[in-house]
Amino acid sequence: MATTKLGFVVTRPGYKSENPKLALTHAIASQSVEIYLKDGDIVTADIAFVGDGVLNCLKDQKAVENYDLNSTESHIKMSLLLDLNVLVCREDLDRFGLSEKDIVIDAPEFGAEVEVKVVPYSEISQMMEEMNHLLFF
Amino acid sequence: MKLVTFVSDYKMTVDTLDRLKPEKLGIILVQNGVYHATTKENGKPSSMLNYSANYYVLQEDLETRGLSAANVIDSKVKVIKFGDIVDLMFNEYDKTAWL
Repeated sequence: MATTKLGFVVTRPGYKSENPKLALTHAIASQSVEIYLKDGDIVTADIAFVGDGVLNCLKDQKAVENYDLNSTESHIKMSLLLDLNVLVCREDLDRFGLSEKDIVIDAPEFGAEVEVKVVPYSEISQMMEEMNHLLFF
Repeated sequence: MKLVTFVSDYKMTVDTLDRLKPEKLGIILVQNGVYHATTKENGKPSSMLNYSANYYVLQEDLETRGLSAANVIDSKVKVIKFGDIVDLMFNEYDKTAWL
C-alpha cells in the first residue's frame, strides 16, 4: 500500500495561455486513476497558487459569458469538490492588495466540503517538500 | 505615425514600448495585459501606465478574470468593448502592433 503525492504549483496568471488551468485539470484527473493502481494504493494532489498565479483565484470570473470557456474559478471549485488541498500564498495576495474576500474560498453550490486555504509561503514550501512529484505551471 | 499597441501580458520581458516614438500612441490592454489597469503591487500602480499615451482596457478580458470597470485604478484608462477596438483601429490610428 503506497501513497503517491503530487504537487501542482501555479505561478502564472490565467487565460493568456491554457497552462495554469492545466494544473487544475491534471490535479483533478489524478483522482481518477484508481483503475491503474494496485489495491490500497492512492494518489493525492495538492495545488498551490503563488506569485502572479494567485490572480487565477479571483472570484466572479465571467469566462463562459464572454468566451464560452470554463472559468479557472470553476476548476478551482471542482478541485474542492474532490477534496483536493488548495493553497493560496498569503504574501502574494498581500502584494496585490487582495484578501480572502476577493478570491474563491468555497464551493457550496458544487457540494464541496473543503475550502481554499490562504497560508503563508512557509506552509506552501513545507507542502512542496512533502510531495513525491512537483509540477510547475 | 499614429500607432495603437496591444499589450497582452502582465510581466513584460521586452522594452519595445520604450523605443516607440509615434506622434500618437494608443495602448490597448487585453488578455493578461488588463492587470496593468487594475493591479497594484506593494501599493504601486504598474509602470505600464507611465507612458504618454491614450489607454484602453478591454471589458471582456476584465470580466473573464473576475475584474470589472470598478477595479480600474487610473481614470485615464478607458474601458472599451471589442467593437470599440475596431473603431479605434479604423478611425484613430494608422498602424497596430501586438506586444
